[in-house]
Amino acid sequence: MNFRALLGVAPLLVVALGGALLMVAEAFSRRRDDDEHGPTGPSSELALATAVTLFVGAIFSAAVWFVGPEKIEGANAVAPYIVVDRFTTFVSFILCLGAGLSALLAGGYLPEHKLDRGEFYPLLTFSTVGAMILASAGDVLSLFIGLETMSLGVYAMTGFRRTSPRSTEAAVKYFLLGSFAAALLLYGAALLYGATGHTDFDGIRQALITPVGKPNRGLTLIAATLVLVGMAFKVSAVPFHMWTPDAYEGAPTPATGYMAVAVKTAAFASLLRVLLGALGHPDLASWGSGWPPVLAFLAVLTMTVANLTAGRQESVKRMLAYSSIAHAGYVLVAVVAMPKAGAESQGAVLFYLLAYTVSTVGAFGALILCGSRGAEAVSYEDLAGLGKRHPAAAAAFSLFLLSLAGVPPTAGFFGKLNVVKAAIGAGHIALTVVLLINSVLAAYYYLRVLVYMYMRDPAPGAPIAKPMRSGYVAGALVLAAIAVIGLGLWPVLPLRVALAAALAAK
Amino acid sequence: MSTVPVEYFLIVAAVLFVVGAVGFLLRRNLLVLLMSIELMLNSVNLTLVAYNRLHAANHAGQNLAFFVIAVAAAEAAVGLAIVLAFFRVRKTIHSDEANLLKN
Repeated sequence: MNFRALLGVAPLLVVALGGALLMVAEAFSRRRDDDEHGPTGPSSELALATAVTLFVGAIFSAAVWFVGPEKIEGANAVAPYIVVDRFTTFVSFILCLGAGLSALLAGGYLPEHKLDRGEFYPLLTFSTVGAMILASAGDVLSLFIGLETMSLGVYAMTGFRRTSPRSTEAAVKYFLLGSFAAALLLYGAALLYGATGHTDFDGIRQALITPVGKPNRGLTLIAATLVLVGMAFKVSAVPFHMWTPDAYEGAPTPATGYMAVAVKTAAFASLLRVLLGALGHPDLASWGSGWPPVLAFLAVLTMTVANLTAGRQESVKRMLAYSSIAHAGYVLVAVVAMPKAGAESQGAVLFYLLAYTVSTVGAFGALILCGSRGAEAVSYEDLAGLGKRHPAAAAAFSLFLLSLAGVPPTAGFFGKLNVVKAAIGAGHIALTVVLLINSVLAAYYYLRVLVYMYMRDPAPGAPIAKPMRSGYVAGALVLAAIAVIGLGLWPVLPLRVALAAALAAK
Repeated sequence: MSTVPVEYFLIVAAVLFVVGAVGFLLRRNLLVLLMSIELMLNSVNLTLVAYNRLHAANHAGQNLAFFVIAVAAAEAAVGLAIVLAFFRVRKTIHSDEANLLKN
């Protein structure tokens, strides 16, 4: 047994082991559901343990990066099921970071809102394990297992507030549409297997290239369409986004933050692997006869519809849900540019996912911070005058919203800049123009929050959300803010790392 | 040994999948929706196992089918739990009445 080989999958193993230990610890921790004296239940300590587990996972990912996955002998012993390369390592880092920050948010949110049950943390951890498997899957088998491990945890987290009609409704909608999408994806994969005789991405691509015994073209087309529709559901691209606003609005806010970052990041990582691996055949990846125009259409639709709808929302949480759909559209622009712009475009996708993760967790964290028991901040009105009453919370919220809007010098600005550069490099001028117009549209609803916080006084007699006090939430916000500003001020090194993480062209 | 042609299985599987998908889109009872999803997953299994006969060089299809069965069981457990939670709060399993969250 070669133990060095385990180093390659160390991040995955650490998080999985941590999840198992958390589950045991949760079973032995005392329940104090109806404690009136604030956050003293089991989940505060569990939150810290979860965050530590996930941050250790992130540190291990970074360690694997520095050692170099290609230098670890036997790291790919279970390839293609788990492919250990720089891409996997980079995405694992993002996933662990986003999940760890979400765990800290949960540590403040759950006790405050009397949801102090420890199951949340093992669910979050195992869901992250699934996300990491999904990101490293080079075979339909592990893709499906990763996808379902991730999704099942998130379904449960969505319906975590069991007595709330909205939370259970969100869980029902998310579960049904998520499972339906998974079934479509799987049927597509089964047909692809029928056409090519392989379930691993490399094998599928090879079989599609081979002129001898050429796979049935119609069958391949139907199969690829079903797979892409299934993946479009997971990244919540319009018109497959119907579940997103409902699930995001009904779920407890830390779960929403987790869904917005981890699920989307893992789904995009998997989309990249499928597009470049299984469907990486030059014909299929060309503008004339392949997936790029389809995805370009989805990208335009996603950005435009999401931004127009987001502007009409009265709930800030729902606005952020539409904003996350819009961001999926921006990432899709870089995905479309992939066949022509190559590594540069992949680097743009990965950098964007990193920037988006820290900004979005921060935005949801700030929203959590603005509310307290019985008075969750939901609508714009709830935030009126926050700048005067609680300058720190308002400042944090402003920073993350500006990053999401893409204002320099924040992480979001360079994320968008790289996407634009990749799209122009690939010659997609029209797409770039649509992206820029949409960024302007998006600025409207992000800035609207700022206007309410700093320039409006709360209406007399309106229920005013009081910010909560929580070291966990504050800690998560500080970490996210450091990352947002750090990526904004020194984007060169992270971008170089993201470029090095690109999947090899085949 | 006379065998049933592979195409027969594939056609049955395709019909099952369409029945499941159409059922999912048209029916309004949450339990029926769950059953539709199971039907779709089972049609996937049938497709995989049938195709495996054409690609006898590896057992990738059968392997995948085993995992789909296992995961479908886990999915059904979570799905039923969620439907149960929904029923407890709302006293209905009609999907049209899941209408609290909308634009």
